[in-house]
Amino acid sequence: MAHIHLEDGSFSLFWVMAWWIVALCIIGIALFFLRSKYKPDPQKITIAAFVTAAAFAIFQVQIPIAGGVHLNLTPLIGILTGPVIGTLVIFIVNIFSAAIGHGGWGLIGANVLVNFAEVLVAWFVFRGMKQITTDLFSQAGVATFAGLFAGNLMMMVIILTSGIQGVHQTTDQILAGLSLLAAVNMGIAAIEAVLTGFMVAYIGKVKPGILEGDRK
Amino acid sequence: MSSFGEMKGRIIFGAILIIVVIVSFAAYQMTGHMSIEDRYNTAVGLPTEEEEEGGTFLGFSVEGNPALYLIVLGFFCAGCYVAYRYFAV
Repeated sequence: MAHIHLEDGSFSLFWVMAWWIVALCIIGIALFFLRSKYKPDPQKITIAAFVTAAAFAIFQVQIPIAGGVHLNLTPLIGILTGPVIGTLVIFIVNIFSAAIGHGGWGLIGANVLVNFAEVLVAWFVFRGMKQITTDLFSQAGVATFAGLFAGNLMMMVIILTSGIQGVHQTTDQILAGLSLLAAVNMGIAAIEAVLTGFMVAYIGKVKPGILEGDRK
Repeated sequence: MSSFGEMKGRIIFGAILIIVVIVSFAAYQMTGHMSIEDRYNTAVGLPTEEEEEGGTFLGFSVEGNPALYLIVLGFFCAGCYVAYRYFAV
């Protein structure tokens, strides 16, 4: 997954504020849609509560693979709740993650953007995959790969744009380092893709209405 | 259409999975074994830091403060219960 694991102070104050402002604009747009154009059914609120709790729970647990990684379930959030509610879910998860000491407060804006890319692309690809295959496991698995790949790209763009304070590496060197990091991250995306695939396939069997809600 | 459609999806997913695993394993071999924070610091050129060894269970550990983690998770679970009672699924 592509959560930016850097300390507060890695980005300059300008970029911390810039990413926060962009993130708040996206959250504002999501709230606008929720209040005016997109009325969620009550069922979605329950689902949003469950995915928020699940994402928070799994987000903090470091899994002993490749030196320590963690999953974040953002593609599942996108698939189950869509990008509008999903944006609010990832914002809440990032706030509470920082509150317990996982990630810096200054990086919440940037991390919301990374996670938003994951939610949006996973939701979009999940819908698109319906045209290609009827298999829910594959739809969710491919959507997860696409979402987490987009998140990694967003993470790289944000870090390269912001620059890191106190570092004398060239942009090319940072790009090379981040590319390797993103490649390792995608290995963990494989685990998340399989897990998400199984979860979505199971939900599709026992409660298909949950998945269909956002797919009209 | 149904079985062919399913098969097509599985083939696409399998192909992506194989490519991703190969590329990721190659990148892991190049970067070596390190924690996620060290991996980020190394990638951007920051010095790696000695991490305090916290409690682990079978290699799994909680990032951040474990007590706060449980408290916040408890609140989330309570929120889920309330949402489920009022709105159901």
